[in-house]
This record gives sequence, structure tokens and C-alpha cells, in this order.
Amino acid sequence: MAISKDIAVENARNDLASRLKINASDVTEKSVEDADFPDMALGAAEDDEMSGQMITRGWRINLEAQGQAFEYRADKNQVRAYKFKGKNYRI
Amino acid sequence: MNRNNIFIHIALAIVLILVAAFAGQLSRWRKQWKSQMRIVPVEEKKKAMTVEDISLSETQSFGAPEILVKFKNGISQDAIDRLTAQRHDRVEDRFENAEGWDAIDDLDNADAATLVKEYQQLPEVEYAEPNYEINLDEATAGPLVPILPHDPQFNDQWALANSGQRGGTKGADISATTAWAKTTGSDEVVVAVLDTGVDYNHEDLTENMWRRPEKMEPYYDKELGTIDDEFGFNAIDTTADPMDDNGHGTHCAGIIGAEGENDLGIAGVNWKVQIMPLKFMNASGSGSTKDAIEAINYVIERKKAGVNVRIISASWGSTQKSRALGDVIRKAYENDILFVAAAGNSTVDNDRTPHYPSSYDSPNVISVAALDRNDALASFSNWGVKSVAIAAPGVDILSTWLDNQYEEKSGTSMATPVVSGVAALVLAEHPHMTVDELKKKLLTSVDPVAALKGKTVTAGRINATKALAD
Repeated sequence: MAISKDIAVENARNDLASRLKINASDVTEKSVEDADFPDMALGAAEDDEMSGQMITRGWRINLEAQGQAFEYRADKNQVRAYKFKGKNYRI
Repeated sequence: MNRNNIFIHIALAIVLILVAAFAGQLSRWRKQWKSQMRIVPVEEKKKAMTVEDISLSETQSFGAPEILVKFKNGISQDAIDRLTAQRHDRVEDRFENAEGWDAIDDLDNADAATLVKEYQQLPEVEYAEPNYEINLDEATAGPLVPILPHDPQFNDQWALANSGQRGGTKGADISATTAWAKTTGSDEVVVAVLDTGVDYNHEDLTENMWRRPEKMEPYYDKELGTIDDEFGFNAIDTTADPMDDNGHGTHCAGIIGAEGENDLGIAGVNWKVQIMPLKFMNASGSGSTKDAIEAINYVIERKKAGVNVRIISASWGSTQKSRALGDVIRKAYENDILFVAAAGNSTVDNDRTPHYPSSYDSPNVISVAALDRNDALASFSNWGVKSVAIAAPGVDILSTWLDNQYEEKSGTSMATPVVSGVAALVLAEHPHMTVDELKKKLLTSVDPVAALKGKTVTAGRINATKALAD
């Protein structure tokens, strides 16, 4: 089932809260913008993950928590944490 | 008449006879010289062909038309005759089966590239291209009549025939229409599309899908057991069903071999071919190294079992290097299988930041960069003067999508199957060509592109017509 922008933001917020062990209400949405990502892993491939090399339209979700900025990337198929403590995660 | 006058008349007659004889010999010498000029230099040029001088292989012989021009609808033949005469050119031939196309001979023997540029700038002209000489046999050499398929969306396929549509540059394409004068592909050639699978029921693909031959045993693997691979292979769940649940693999398959001249959708680089679908990437378009290896292993085993699979098209990658993946790609080489791979979309130099599998040092790997419709390196494309071999159209490429749809997509993913498709065309014409010969053929028959100088090994765009030249 295709993921909408709102659902993607909600999933990202919940994932960040879980990783930081805080309440989702303590995560602030700074911005959500349309973006073209370089591949089908949204430029956020996990280790040992190959992805189709097609430009993929999606959303860049910028969140803030505990005074730090965090980036998530999403499209209709997936949501990914981008370089969370140096690593990418597909959630 | 006195005696002196008789001697004068006899002397004059002898002089006239000698002049006539000398003129006749001159004419024979001239014809002989023309004939030599037509054959010898081209053959010598072919023997010494390098990447730098490939562009000179267009027809340059005396009397042969230098270029083929398609005039816009409504331009009368009288107007065309006037237009050519003003340039000291002439219409050498008009093609009844290719409406609007004329073969133009420049009486000053200007080079084809200059003429193409000149004609492309005329408002009356839709499209101009060099008259490629494919056959060196003088008796059969002649202009290639471009073949335009009736697939309804063909006019949007700028990669195959760039007429300048939507702000593009006329001629910045792979010269497919003149290549099709020689071959439109063969259902004897099998191309493995290693991807998200392929929608093998798509209206424009179904006739060109590989089916396991009836006499061939189902696939057997010691660990996986027996798999009834009627349509191909799914390495994710190790089943026989490679149905696409993303669209990416279906798009790549259409570029290689959407059925041509079937009055549906688009035309592939090959109108006839067999596409073997392999699924190792999921519905999001990602997959694991292990599943990629499993799928390549399947291709090799099918080759050993007698399937004429000669090309693996790999529109995927990452910066992670796997020795195991590199080894299985080399194994494919040992089984005479070409491996065409996307250079990647991160706008980086692959010489410094390698992208795999395109950066594996295996002789069968061709790494492909993407060009836009104006022959510029695509804004996203990786490059590498040592590691990226060739470029192909990869921006706004129209092809097949899920549910009998057609969509435009961009990426080195889209450039890769263009090269795989041209490789399949070459194999249709030269089925016994080895993978080394095939790779050399593709890389030495490019159109030089200024934007690629210092960016790729060949500094050129793939050209199907030149790749098919003997």
C-alpha cells in the first residue's frame, strides 16, 4: 500500500522517538519538502543493500529533538532514517 | 587541294585522334581512381579504427549521398529541390517507404557532420543524420533507409530518434532508425534483466519474454531444490515467479525489447528479443548482494544448460564492494556473458569513489553513464575517465510500466538497458561474437560527445548503427 506524506512524517517521528527513547510529542517537525533522490534507496542505503539507479521522487523530512537535527527520507514505498549516528536505516 | 594542304589535314587528324585517345584513358584513370577512393580508404580506416576516429566512418565516397534528411510535413519536393540547389547540393534519392526522407548529396563533398549541422538548423527540416555506410562491399553499399515503427508513442522516444522534440538536440540519439534497416533484433538472443522482476504480462512485452523451452528440465539447485522456472527466477523467495511489484525492472525491459511495430505503446531497441526476467530487488527497489549472486548464478546455469543468454543488464548498485559478487560476475565472463551495469546517480567520480557492480575489474563489465536529450552528461550521473566506459540516453526515458502503463523515468538505470539493447542487436547480426569482441565493438563505435571528454573511457555516446557495421 502506498504511503502518504502525512503517514511518512508520522512514521519518521515515531521512529526517531523510539531511537532516542523519548515521547513522540518531544520531536519537532522542522520541515517537509519534495525531493528527488538519486536511487531507489533514497540515497540512504543500508550496508549490503543494492538499489535501482533511478531518480526517485519523495520527501525530505527534517526533524528536531533534544536540540539536534535529524533527517528522514521517504517515498510512497518506504521511510528511511538518513545517517542516524552515521548509519542509514530502513524503518 | 594542293599537296601541302593534304599533309596539314592528315597531321591535324592524327593530333585529334591522339587527343581523343588520351582523353579516353584519362576517363578510365579517373573511374579507376574513384573506385579505389570508395573502397580502400574505408577499409584501411576500419582496420585502424580507434575511438578518436570512429566518427569518420560515415559515408564519404564520391557520388554517394552524405546525409539523410527528413523534411517537415507540408514541405513540397519543389521547395526541397530549391533548398538543396541553393547549397550546391542535390537530392540523390527519395524513399517511397520512408515518407519525407531524402538522401542528400553535397556536390562539393563536404563532410557529413558539417552537412548534418547545416540542415538541422533549417526550419524546414525535422531531422538529419549522416548516411552511415554499413557494408563495405561496393556492390551492396548504399544509403540505409531509416525505419520508423508505427508504435504510437515512438515520437516521444528521443533516445532512439531525437528530432529535437521538447527542446532536445536533433541527432543526439543512438541512431536506432538506421540500425533497424539492418536488423530489428532476434528472438534467438536472450537478455537477462536482473532487477525488480518484469511484468511479463505487459501488452508491449509479453511477446518478447523468455519462456523455458519445453524440452529443458526445470532449474535445479543443490540448496534450493527444483524450481519450475517457466518465466524466470525470483531470488528473493527462491521461487519461479519473477513478476515485478515495483515497475523499475519492467521499465528497463521495455527499453531493451518492447515489441516493435505492434501498434502499441513504444518500440524497444530490439523489436524482437527474449527477455529473461530475474527478481532480486523488492517492491521498494532494493535487494541484497546475496540475492544478486543467486540470480547471476541462475543465469550462468541456464547458459550452461543451453539457453543463449549473452547479456545481463544490471541497473542497480551501491558503494559496497563484495568480493563474492565480483567473482560471480567474472564467472559470467568465463561463460561468455556480457555484464552491463549502471555507473550510479550520485554525481561523483567513480575513479575516486567506486560504484559496484559497475566498477568491478572484470573484462565483461561495461559501466554506463547517462546523457540528456542535448548530449550533456545528466546532472545526476556518475562519471570516470578510467572506470566508466560509455554513455547512453538516460533522462526522461519513456518505457513500459506496471499495469500496461508507460512512464518516463531518469537514471543511469535507464541508460544501462539502452547499451544492453544495442549489444543484443549486435548479437542478432553476429551471433557467434565473443563477449570480448562484443564489448570492443560497442566501445569502438561511439559518437564522440564533447561533454564526455575526460569523463568516460570512450568519451562517446553509444551508436547502434555504427555498432552494427561489419
